[in-house]
Amino acid sequence: MKKFISLLLVVTMVMTLLCACGKKNTDNDIVDSSKTQKETEDQTNNEADKQKEDPVKIRIYYSDNATLPFREDWLTVKEAEKMFNVEFDWEVIPIADYQTKVSLALNTGTNTPDVILYQSTKGENASLALNGALVPISDYSDFTPNFNELVKDFGLQDTVDELNLADGKRYYLPSLYDIPFYDGGLILREDFLEAEGINAPKTFDDLYGILKAYKEKNPESYPLTILAGPRVLYRMTMPSFGVSLGKNGSSGTNTLSWDYDKEEYFSGAISDGYKEYIGYLAKLYREGLLDPEMADPINGDIWSQKMATGKSMATYAYYDQIGGLEGSTEIDGYKLQMYPSLEGSAGAHHQPKSSTGSGIMFPAKTAKRDDFERIVRTIDKVFYSEEGAKLWCLGVEGVTYTEENGEIKYADELVNSEEGVYKSLQIKYGCGSDVTQMVWVNSREMTKYDENYARINKEVADMGDVIQPIPPTPLFDDMKSEDAGVLQTPLFDKFEVWADAFITGKKDVEKDWDAYVKEMKSLKIDEFCNLYNDNLAK
Amino acid sequence: MKACRSKGSIVFDVIIYIIMIFVLLVCLVPFLYMLAVSISEPKAIINNEVALIPVGINFEAYKQIFAYPNFFKAYGNTIFYTVVGTLIALIMTTLFAYPLSKKSLRGQKFFMKLVVFSMFFSGGLIPNYLLISSLNLTGTRFAMLVPFAINQFNLIILINFFKSIPNEIEEAALIDGLGYFGILRRIVVPLSKPALATIGLYTAVFFWNDWFNGLIYLNTDQFPVMLFLRNIVNGTSMLGDAAGSADKATIAISIKSAVIITSTLPIIILYPFLQKYFVKGLTIGSVKG
Repeated sequence: MKKFISLLLVVTMVMTLLCACGKKNTDNDIVDSSKTQKETEDQTNNEADKQKEDPVKIRIYYSDNATLPFREDWLTVKEAEKMFNVEFDWEVIPIADYQTKVSLALNTGTNTPDVILYQSTKGENASLALNGALVPISDYSDFTPNFNELVKDFGLQDTVDELNLADGKRYYLPSLYDIPFYDGGLILREDFLEAEGINAPKTFDDLYGILKAYKEKNPESYPLTILAGPRVLYRMTMPSFGVSLGKNGSSGTNTLSWDYDKEEYFSGAISDGYKEYIGYLAKLYREGLLDPEMADPINGDIWSQKMATGKSMATYAYYDQIGGLEGSTEIDGYKLQMYPSLEGSAGAHHQPKSSTGSGIMFPAKTAKRDDFERIVRTIDKVFYSEEGAKLWCLGVEGVTYTEENGEIKYADELVNSEEGVYKSLQIKYGCGSDVTQMVWVNSREMTKYDENYARINKEVADMGDVIQPIPPTPLFDDMKSEDAGVLQTPLFDKFEVWADAFITGKKDVEKDWDAYVKEMKSLKIDEFCNLYNDNLAK
Repeated sequence: MKACRSKGSIVFDVIIYIIMIFVLLVCLVPFLYMLAVSISEPKAIINNEVALIPVGINFEAYKQIFAYPNFFKAYGNTIFYTVVGTLIALIMTTLFAYPLSKKSLRGQKFFMKLVVFSMFFSGGLIPNYLLISSLNLTGTRFAMLVPFAINQFNLIILINFFKSIPNEIEEAALIDGLGYFGILRRIVVPLSKPALATIGLYTAVFFWNDWFNGLIYLNTDQFPVMLFLRNIVNGTSMLGDAAGSADKATIAISIKSAVIITSTLPIIILYPFLQKYFVKGLTIGSVKG
């Protein structure tokens, strides 16, 4: 007993000691750190008042892409700091885990940066914003004159207003596009068309003819393949049939589509447009023209193998990817070309695109800094002023490019580089990174690409409304959003099962269509559609 | 001694050998394939000509990884976390395990129950994050090292190993005038090399592979290399999801393979040296004492 009591005493003593030490230390640290921070801030402010030259210090999150690793010594970064009198403390976070890090910082409010790049208020960020984790930057529009001006110049006021959340406020500064790019689409072997004397495809029937001709010459092949998964094919081709559905469908509803004339949602998954579309794919599949592995995620390497070995000759992908393939194939005369959108029953359309992209957020903590106004004004200048926009797009005048009478000429080193102007500018100088470039002017961007790409983009632009805007998102409150989720999940599951069955021929598009429609209706697709239409911002 | 072996036993041996060779191949072939792909010419890879033997020699993939800004710094960080983390873990686990291996210690059972309880139930990500940041560890290298120093599973292995050391040796040492700390240092630890090597390897592999804790607690210049490598491998899976005019250039499969080789090679080199302790340490350690 005696032993036990003495042991207990010792343990208590040690515990108390440890706790006390810990507490003391922590307290001290907290006091110290806050004191130091405050002191530094005060100091910065006082001195800033005295002499405006002191750079503003901004801790900033950057989403790092493995194909374009961030370098603190990029010309753009150094120049931006010098030009706008700012000292960035870059937190470079791998893109694959960026969202986790942002979410943790915003959820806990500790260790948060002053500014977060490459984010929007989609998904979790919306509720974080409404719960006060972010600064409602639309309340401070006086501090962002350059941004406001661009929105006006590009005619994007309505589009930007649609980014407001349920409380009518906007919580980030999006990146802005004057005209969305046609950066990916139908890519196929031009050398085959030339050899066979076939004209460039204009409609989906033309495409069918080309695929069929290739299959006849190469019976072992599956002429049309896809990249990454069927979703790229779906989103780039469906709009020509008047629908946009499924995973990555532009509306985010998965089963509804947007009627651009009537400006309302309709049940796209059971529409005639979709029936025609899925019938077309089923026909390609039945005749061995469509890659049977299309349902699997086909990564870039397997895709390259299929294309380079001639196992496939057509695909839906991005323009950047053509060069790598042409360089590595062993087929003589191999030449790929990208074509404008093909015409379907609803005209020629491409995947709808937004004129706004991911942008800049300010965590709530930043607003507590004494120099908050200066931070926002600086960020506005760095990313949205004319000098800033040019810097992140073209680099530094006299180093990477020269401008004469509005015409841009790139340095010889860039023009003659193996990777081309666009890629060299990115890797060597940090221009054209999605994370830091907030202003995208189509005509300016086109100067970085080869003439062919600029020509296709011009052709597409001349065709009219090929790239339609992204449909509006309804303003659901939490309850409505829950209701929509409950309706959406089973509908989408059923849609996926049927889509797969239709394409692979397990179900017949003509014979089984009514059964499919009946099933979707019993899962309340119409009610789901009404819920969307009833909650659109009027 | 030449033992007469029956036919049955020879057949049995042959079957065992065949199975072993099969298992060996299953483990080895993917690795050899990765190695071949990582040093082959891109043309050969795209045209599907590479099997187990490299076609052409090309170190571009490695060059590209090594050219990644901060790659070597990050690699140094990982080595630091692995070495220092394993050391801290071994010291702390030993200091915790030794008292708990003494049945005569009052409260031993209670502390064992605490250990086992915390093995199954933890606070979760956000409480852990808040705890570590309230201890002012975020943004310091200690955030990687201290919170993960004691792993309950390793602790239990070590406790059981300590229990298996005959009490008489310790009693003799006590009579000869050694204190408990002296016994631990001079007798128990030297006798426990296999167990320590085993949990040392477990811990080293943990620290070597850990990227998540680095991501959430550390700043960019303290990131372990695994985080970069993970980004390179995962970078390609983001392909096709990117909107706007993101960079859609593919990273060749050879880069992925080079990443895998780069990240696993050190552990593979280390393993044979620890192998002999490994089996012994684990079996003895897991015998119920």
